Amino acid sequence: MSAPKTVRLTIDGRAVEADAGTNVLRAAEKAGIAIPHFCFHPGLDVEGSCRMCLVEIEGLPKLELACSTVVREGLAVRTTTERVRRARRDVLEFLLAEHPLDCPICDKAGECRLQDYYDLHGRHPGRMLEPRESRAKKVPIGRGLILDRERCVLCTRCVRFLRQVTGTGELGVFERALRSEIGIFDGTPVDNRYAGNLVDICPVGAITSEDFRFRTRAWFLTRRPSICPHCSRGCAVSVESRAGYPLAEGERRVYRIAARENPAVNGFWMCDLGREGRRDIEAGRLSVPLRQGRPDPGLSWTEAAGEAAAAIGRIPAGERGEKTAVVLNGRLTCEELARARASFVDGLGCRNIFFADSRPGRADGPLLTAERTPNLRGAVAAGFSPRLPDLGELAAARVLLVFGSRLAEHHGGPELARALSGGPRTFLFAAHAGPLDGLAEMAVPVAVPAEKSGTYINIDGLAQAFDRSLEPAPGGPAEGAVLEALARGLGLDRGGGDGR
Amino acid sequence: MAADVLIVLAKAVLAMTWTLLLALFLTWVERKESAVMQDRIGANRASIFGLRLFGLFQPFADAIKMFFKEDFVPSFARKPLHWLAPAVSFFCVSVTMIAVPFGDAIRLFGRRIPLQVADLDAAVLFVLAMLGLGVYGILTGGWASANRFGLIGSLRGAAQLISYEVALGLSLVGLIMVFPSLRLSRIVEYQGGLLFGVLPKWGIFLQPLGFAVFFLAGLAETKRVPFDLPEGESEIIGFYTEYSGLKFGLFMFTDFLEVIVFAALAATLFFGGWQVPWLGDGGFVFPWGGRIAAAPWAVTVLRVLSFNLKVLFFCWLQILVRWTYPRLRYDQVMDLGWKVLVPAGAFNILATGLVLAVR
Amino acid sequence: MGSAWTVIKEILRGSAITARHFFVNMTFHTLRLFGLRTARRGAVTVQYPEEAKPLGPRHRSLHRLRPRPDGRPSCVACMLCVTVCPSECLTVEAAEDPDPEVQKVPARFVVDLNRCCFCGLCVEACPVDAIRMDTGEIRLAALDRKALEVRLDKP
Ligand code: SF4
Ligand code: SF4
Ligand code: SF4
Ligand code: FES
Repeated sequence: MSAPKTVRLTIDGRAVEADAGTNVLRAAEKAGIAIPHFCFHPGLDVEGSCRMCLVEIEGLPKLELACSTVVREGLAVRTTTERVRRARRDVLEFLLAEHPLDCPICDKAGECRLQDYYDLHGRHPGRMLEPRESRAKKVPIGRGLILDRERCVLCTRCVRFLRQVTGTGELGVFERALRSEIGIFDGTPVDNRYAGNLVDICPVGAITSEDFRFRTRAWFLTRRPSICPHCSRGCAVSVESRAGYPLAEGERRVYRIAARENPAVNGFWMCDLGREGRRDIEAGRLSVPLRQGRPDPGLSWTEAAGEAAAAIGRIPAGERGEKTAVVLNGRLTCEELARARASFVDGLGCRNIFFADSRPGRADGPLLTAERTPNLRGAVAAGFSPRLPDLGELAAARVLLVFGSRLAEHHGGPELARALSGGPRTFLFAAHAGPLDGLAEMAVPVAVPAEKSGTYINIDGLAQAFDRSLEPAPGGPAEGAVLEALARGLGLDRGGGDGR
Repeated sequence: MAADVLIVLAKAVLAMTWTLLLALFLTWVERKESAVMQDRIGANRASIFGLRLFGLFQPFADAIKMFFKEDFVPSFARKPLHWLAPAVSFFCVSVTMIAVPFGDAIRLFGRRIPLQVADLDAAVLFVLAMLGLGVYGILTGGWASANRFGLIGSLRGAAQLISYEVALGLSLVGLIMVFPSLRLSRIVEYQGGLLFGVLPKWGIFLQPLGFAVFFLAGLAETKRVPFDLPEGESEIIGFYTEYSGLKFGLFMFTDFLEVIVFAALAATLFFGGWQVPWLGDGGFVFPWGGRIAAAPWAVTVLRVLSFNLKVLFFCWLQILVRWTYPRLRYDQVMDLGWKVLVPAGAFNILATGLVLAVR
Repeated sequence: MGSAWTVIKEILRGSAITARHFFVNMTFHTLRLFGLRTARRGAVTVQYPEEAKPLGPRHRSLHRLRPRPDGRPSCVACMLCVTVCPSECLTVEAAEDPDPEVQKVPARFVVDLNRCCFCGLCVEACPVDAIRMDTGEIRLAALDRKALEVRLDKP
């Protein structure tokens, strides 16, 4: 592909270069000049319905839409003239004339374009004397989404998303002119695995999600980037959590997970499975270490790792590789996998290395893959060939190290119990609780992916590094630290690690 | 003989009781007087069975509290001395009351009983000496607490008291020159005469400068505001920082005793003690002619009453002063003592001597 | 010498002022004691638990949530007071209301008086004028910290 042709234009007197074919709005954005807009979304086709993006273009008598004007060589655009400002204020006044004063109870408040633009460009007093039109305020449109027609500014981003991205087209604009409203067709609610994106793209608070509704306010949230660990696509996400006082009883730690822009992987979207990953971080976690199936808050992960290393050390030197079995998983980062390989394969000569992960699901839509593991490519890159263990292989070992709780998804609890009783000494390092906890000699909690940093290689072979987006619970280390402690306990640490 | 001893004992007990009760009462007076001066009401909540009586029970409530508070002695304190200090203070001050005449004499069962515990020869010196000894209480208190701030406070106190001791002594020399005696009973008797045939011959009229010096020095001796540098309760730390409970109470009480002692001395030395103007043994004899006869018991009662009133007045005055003025700076205290009062006292002696010589 | 006189004069003047207060006040106290009620009193003291000064109209006392006509609090759980509160003493948990015109109501509204500094910023911040500090309740003492965490959404 040849380098895209560029054109030169001036915006507000500044010389700007833009790829041919983009619109003025994007070109200005790239140059650091923000043009207010509601209906334009870079991931969707241009609609030009909100009229917020009006700019002045030299030589044209009327104001033009920045979103639907394609850049041309020598174009001279002005975004700060009095005419443009007046136009913005007037458009806002029209939008707000029919808008409810809902900000106090609106989930969007704090990240709402209407609020921001009113503050920047509006600041006009209200002139409406007539009562505001009332419309349906709580219309369930499927998949836990609620539509508020009073707040809607009819930008049709939601309609376009469902037509252009998922291709399902459940939403449409009904009626005409003043009575236009967004709605579903009779009996066919929104039902696809990307519906959560509607909340993200709605520029106002017209579409809200039941899961997040009223839980907190946007400005209380801390947003940190991460990578979604729920399929091998590796979408860029932002984990929105709330730390610090006051954390009332039963309050959430992670309030929601939203999509982050990454053109190389997910564009602007993510699937609902990833959004639900919020629960994966909070619910079903293994919270207290267990010893022989009984809670033992005094048991630290360092002690468990030391004990496991000592157990391996007690196997006669020649048989260690034979008699040790390790179950890893595809949620380990490349760094952790490399360490595991150095310790178990290169150090111990262990051949019984298995992988246990969630069962694959059905690939769906543009992003969701069938594989529900973020880093199986990383495992292959580290030199493993992931496969599930059968029970006999596990029972034959004298020491069994299990990372992750997914083994129990493939083998039923009773069978596992039979295989492990009287067999190997089992040590479990898992983020979530499961039937395996009671079977292991020691079970200690570890971090979920959002709580650690590392690199995942996605289904297309793209390596993506990420940083921890949440503070781990005290005493819940990343598996990397556990692996490091194990290596040290086995006398295999040759100064490779960072010494921590 | 045994009767004499009994009589002295009884008088001692009476005098002590009078002093202690008055001191207790003064704690109430202080609260109330300061309140009235400041347009407040003052402590009025202490009650017995709902009987409030203007808060008159407050002193008892305070006393009970003092008794039951933890008596905290710092581990590093010198314990015996820590105990001794308030006792020394208390003793030295209260013992001066034995030299003070409460009235002239009564006749009981054919005996003449002077209303005075002990008519000492050198009563004035005794009183000065005892007040001077009080410094030891302060010094030991500060030193025994082994607290630097306490020690510094007690040193401040000692320096102040010793300075004013000098002025106090000097102010009395003139008085002793006029009333040639060191016996308080004699001094009071001298003041029964008339000056120019009209005025009672009180010390204040003969020694006005002497009284001024005596009053100021005496205020400083009681170490209350505005001369409360040894203690400085409101901001600088004083010698009884490490005291609490009963022992602290004893120090506080000693303060009030000092007020009483000073009031009694002022009344005795400069305001005629138990004398009532123009009242002789037989009744009133007014200089402008006219007389009112009075029975001997009535005379005695009047005289004791007069003494008490004078003492109360001076207590009131001291409290007024204490609640009116702010504390002096330390250098001002020292300046006032050495550069004003001592020279003034010396000048007073000189002037008195000259007048006496000329006459 | 002149300054010495000034000092002595001022000292005496000071005493005269305090003595005047003493005697004037004493006169009124005495009159009162004998049953004469004068307009002026000997002391300005207000004997608090028995007699209380009326609170100023803008006095800030214990918070309350203004009720809606149906008796439920008019708070819409917007958490603006929580946001503005400098002492971080407010906790609001929102709940869904079946009425689509109301939608958001507080499920729990707690003010922690252990922390509250009575600045009144929450009152200023409230967009629906739901929270007010005009109960006139100023006797806010308790033997237990928990008792000072006041639930405002329940009467
Ligand atoms: S959509 Fe925006 S402006 Fe409208 S109520 Fe919600 S926060 Fe307020
Ligand atoms: S008065 Fe001030 S400190 Fe108290 S709850 Fe309101 S905002 Fe917070
Ligand atoms: S009291 Fe007012 S500011 Fe606070 S949550 Fe309720 S409505 Fe919002
Ligand atoms: S963004 Fe251009 S019209 Fe909406």
